[in-house]
Amino acid sequence: MRMLRLLAGYVRRYFLEVMAWRSFLVTLVVNQSVTPIIGLAVWSAALPGNTIVTTYYVALLAVQLMTVSYEHHTFSNGIYAGDLSAELLKPQPVVLTTLGVNVALRIWHVLVGLPLIVVAGLVAGVSFDSSPVLLAMPAVALAAALRFLFTYVLALSAFWTERAHGVVGLGETLIFLLGGAAAPITLFPEGIRPLGEALPFRAMLGFPAEIASGSLSEMQVLEGYGWQACWMAALAISAVLVWRSGVRRYTAVGG
Amino acid sequence: MRLLRLFGAIVSISLRRELAHRANLIFQMLLTVVDIASGLAALRIVYMQTDTLAGWALAEAVVLLGTYQVVSGVLSTFVEPNLTWFGNQVTSGELDTLLLKPVNSAFLATLGTCAPLGLSQVALGTVVVAIGISDLDAGPTASSIAGWLVMLGVGIAITWASRVLVASLSFWAPQTQLDVVYEALWQFGRYPVSIYRQPLRFVLTWVLPVAFISTFPARALTGGASPVLLAAGLAVGLGAVAVVILVWDAGLRRYTSATS
Repeated sequence: MRMLRLLAGYVRRYFLEVMAWRSFLVTLVVNQSVTPIIGLAVWSAALPGNTIVTTYYVALLAVQLMTVSYEHHTFSNGIYAGDLSAELLKPQPVVLTTLGVNVALRIWHVLVGLPLIVVAGLVAGVSFDSSPVLLAMPAVALAAALRFLFTYVLALSAFWTERAHGVVGLGETLIFLLGGAAAPITLFPEGIRPLGEALPFRAMLGFPAEIASGSLSEMQVLEGYGWQACWMAALAISAVLVWRSGVRRYTAVGG
Repeated sequence: MRLLRLFGAIVSISLRRELAHRANLIFQMLLTVVDIASGLAALRIVYMQTDTLAGWALAEAVVLLGTYQVVSGVLSTFVEPNLTWFGNQVTSGELDTLLLKPVNSAFLATLGTCAPLGLSQVALGTVVVAIGISDLDAGPTASSIAGWLVMLGVGIAITWASRVLVASLSFWAPQTQLDVVYEALWQFGRYPVSIYRQPLRFVLTWVLPVAFISTFPARALTGGASPVLLAAGLAVGLGAVAVVILVWDAGLRRYTSATS
């Protein structure tokens, strides 16, 4: 309960802080929106008249903005600069501040990106049904949690290497290719589709968009939720383990 | 001539500096390989569903992607290391040190240092172009290869010009930092501009000339270079460089340095 109150406090604080550099925020939103928009253009040209794929990419744009994670900037840089020392002294889990920044940034991304989503939807002539969208909501929340955990674990590599930004970049490339941004997993060739469905990347990005666009049967939706739950456990455990071994390596000078 | 010698020296120093960090080198190569492989894989998945994408066959689209990687590699090797967060140099007055040196300031500010690791992207991009060529129905002729090289040169000139223009905005509006937007919109070059719908296509050809970095060179190689396209490309390229020189001088006149 105290944790939740603290978290809400951090979200409010960083929400206001981000407001100070809102023009830069617009550039971040543009950056995050480019891959789904290119995907929309490519697949509209490849499969003209296929409304499922256009709906999918508009939904993907929304999911992308709701799940953005910048822990390599908000957390790794703190390790490099030594700011982590101050965080370690606070009587609270260190991850709480990072999580607060993350949530605040996501709220801002959705607010700023909303006009873009609406325009993309109108231009592509997309209409959503309410029941698949409702069915996708829990998947969005799980995807958001998974993407945070994944980026956080990769950002923790800053305890061992100077290249945490590159490590997170590698993870983002994997999410692009196997998460459903380059191509919807439902259109993957028969041979590798089961692999694409099982990997965590689709659970972080493509899965909620697949539900919202009505590309999945009930059975497939259940399976997808199953995978999300599995990866949630796996990533949460690895986050704890990596943090514990990493923080022992942390050294800083001064204060 | 003197600038060329200086440029050679800059590249050689930067190269020696980066070769000292071998782990970085290997990791960077890995990132580049993964990035290019994922681009190729994404294309392949698209072409499993269709034979042509807005009039482009798979082999042609591969040539285009390779060309995009070559130009991107040049951008990240020679231009980006100088101009990322250029606005900070203007607001903090760091630009002073540059202006005091006895070399053309536009040259030094935009090409004064480089990150030779990006050349791995140029090399791999060339390999991708070669893969695309080997899959083409009709092999390239000497004239189409020459056309590709000319358009590639034009694309690189336009790349440099557009990046410098974006950075020069800092002279007038130091708070606008468009670095991230530039990098994001650059991604539109991965695919032929003809896949985008009309207002966007016009913008990507003439306002943000992404079409010049990949679509036009690849078209010259796969479809034969039409003299009109080559002439137009050369004119646009030279025009862009001229505009940059004018804008840079106008911008410097607004620059008030750190101590004034």
